[in-house]
Amino acid sequence: MAKASSKVKKKKEKRTTNKPCRFCADKLSINYKDEALLRRFITDRGKITPRRITGTCARHQRALAHAIKRARSIAILPFVKIYYR
Amino acid sequence: MRAYECVYILDPSLEELAVKEKTEKFKEIVTSRGGTVRKVDLWGKRKLAYPIAKRFEGSYILMSFDGDNEILGELNRVYRFDDMVLRHLIVIDDNPVTEQPAVSAGENEE
Repeated sequence: MAKASSKVKKKKEKRTTNKPCRFCADKLSINYKDEALLRRFITDRGKITPRRITGTCARHQRALAHAIKRARSIAILPFVKIYYR
Repeated sequence: MRAYECVYILDPSLEELAVKEKTEKFKEIVTSRGGTVRKVDLWGKRKLAYPIAKRFEGSYILMSFDGDNEILGELNRVYRFDDMVLRHLIVIDDNPVTEQPAVSAGENEE
């Protein structure tokens, strides 16, 4: 019983708490040459991670998407990652 | 005049000397048309995220420069016709760094 109620509470908290945008919080700059940074914002399939998962604000998500697309065009990041079976 | 930044990928089979030669050639294109080269940065060979023209790695070179429309047109044209250039990307430099021009080139002359 107690467990269930705590679970519910947790869910509610999750919905209400705002994840801070990492770029706003740490004043990071987004650059298409920074592979290590950009890699954190793509899935292992090579897709751009949505904002609702990373918590990035709209402005920085836009800049991020732009940077990722640039990085893809010069083969720093993959368009798709092919899995070999 | 505007600050630009250009990344291009050269064929991995090129020797170090040939790469130097190429970078000088592209620098020349900018300077001969009234532009100034801020910095040339050789990243060295790195693995490509996906194969380009059946190559799996390439030599990356970053060049930042001040230039105008004419230079961009010429650079784009030259890059396109050069078989040794696998890819190139020219973008506006958002926060240009004012640095001593070509530190690495100076070291080699000594």
